[in-house]
Amino acid sequence: MWNPYEPIAAGTRRALGLSSVLTILGIWAALAGFSLVSPARLPAPLAVLSALSRLAWDPARGESRLFDATLASVSRVLVAGVLVIVVGVPIGILMGASPRLNAALSPLVDPFRSAPVVAFLPILVMWLGIGELMKVAFLFVGAVVFLIPMVRDAILAVPQQHWISARDLGATPWEAVRVSVIPMARPRIADAITVAVSVMWTYITVAEYVNAERGLGQLIANARRVSAMDQLFVGIFTIIGLALVTYFAMVAIKKRLYPWETE
Amino acid sequence: MTETPKAETPAAKDETPAFTSVELSGIVQEYPAGDGKPPHRVLENVDLTFDRPGINMLLGPSGCGKSTVLRMMGGVRPIGATTPTQGKVLIGGVPCEDAHEDAVMVFQRYANRPDLSVWDNVALPFRFKLWKRKVDRATWTKRVDEILTAVGLADKKELRPAQLSGGQNQRVALARALVLRPKILLMDEPFGALDAQTREEMQRLLVSLLESQPCLVVFVTHDVSEAILLGDRVIVMSGSPATVVDDFPITEARPRSNAWVMSSPIVQMKDRILARLHESKGHGQVRVSF
Repeated sequence: MWNPYEPIAAGTRRALGLSSVLTILGIWAALAGFSLVSPARLPAPLAVLSALSRLAWDPARGESRLFDATLASVSRVLVAGVLVIVVGVPIGILMGASPRLNAALSPLVDPFRSAPVVAFLPILVMWLGIGELMKVAFLFVGAVVFLIPMVRDAILAVPQQHWISARDLGATPWEAVRVSVIPMARPRIADAITVAVSVMWTYITVAEYVNAERGLGQLIANARRVSAMDQLFVGIFTIIGLALVTYFAMVAIKKRLYPWETE
Repeated sequence: MTETPKAETPAAKDETPAFTSVELSGIVQEYPAGDGKPPHRVLENVDLTFDRPGINMLLGPSGCGKSTVLRMMGGVRPIGATTPTQGKVLIGGVPCEDAHEDAVMVFQRYANRPDLSVWDNVALPFRFKLWKRKVDRATWTKRVDEILTAVGLADKKELRPAQLSGGQNQRVALARALVLRPKILLMDEPFGALDAQTREEMQRLLVSLLESQPCLVVFVTHDVSEAILLGDRVIVMSGSPATVVDDFPITEARPRSNAWVMSSPIVQMKDRILARLHESKGHGQVRVSF
């Protein structure tokens, strides 16, 4: 009988997940292998693998283009990520803690969640040029507009009872927020940061589209320019892989920091 | 932050709370109804004076406004309306506008922090400037240990709230209130969510704790039996808007026996309370468990 709350064993879950991935790989291999789609449009899985090995290590030049590109992209995400957290978390907390500040800033923040952030790229290029600053700024804008409202909502989701109880025990309003509200909101703030980082991974190709000398976005853009579909796929898979690794790492960190959340 | 040396002097000598009186006069409470409708009046002409320590039971149907009265007595005022709309609240003769440092409240929802141990939950108020200034660290760590022993959680002080039962969590909340040695203890249906057996245990515990640490207790309940079992004084509130419809002392010593509860004066008292509650309009519920 179908039951939406049915618990499934870890083994079953993995098997089901793996089978759908393998199915897609199978369809891909079949389409490419039987030349149903031209290699110019869809490279064969093996072609992608060999592109991967060439990008991972180029003996002729003695360099790893993939590693260089990854390093460049990761450092951009890292720099922008730190800025997003340092700026977004305090603003979100203040908005969550102050209905007035929330009323004042919400109209500036909330619409951007559904705004076409990509369309701001030309504006950022005009304002900040085509250098590193523009790329980090773009990632920052793209992610911070998600982070701020999510942090605010994390604060607002803490039951008012905790604030009242702390005030009643003699806390000043700010002490009540600091000692009783913010600690309770930490797991959801961690979730918000995870989402913000995922958002940055989705924007990295756009950020590196303009005048990047290094980076996974640049690798993809170059591959497209020379119609090297195999390399393009390598770039895409690398970004997906990095995004997944960061995601799972952050989920694990959160579980470790806040074990009480699921108790 | 755990063991402190055994106390040489009894805890009561650390800082015995002096008594503070509470006086409410001419209290009217209205809440805005919205849509241009006239405001909704929940309390009318409530006059109450608490001039001696003891357990004062504020009994009335659920939703009649008892908690609002309680929160005026030094708790955090309800949000969204001026409280009280009319009338005066004096604590120790001084007008009281909001949360008062002599008063501590215990709620039905105990609001323990899930990430902190039992010990840290009880010690939480000492993170606030007010108590840091008033009580030095050595004193409060000793107090926390003592109160945890008193509420029977000494062996559970390292556990987190999720590892405790509802009754044990309420003990944590009670300990966190009493560790401050409040002059006024405000209890808002604190045992309302507990099962019957745990509720009885908690009632007994409260009585024994108050023996060693007497203060002015105002205890809100909609349980007629609880009011009769615990109260030195029972104040009955009813009606819409609610007002005080009965107010009488009970002198019987606690713990009160079953025989006493079943005796005819007490059965008559219960009937009188129920009759009072039925006289006035309003549609909240009361509970009678014996």
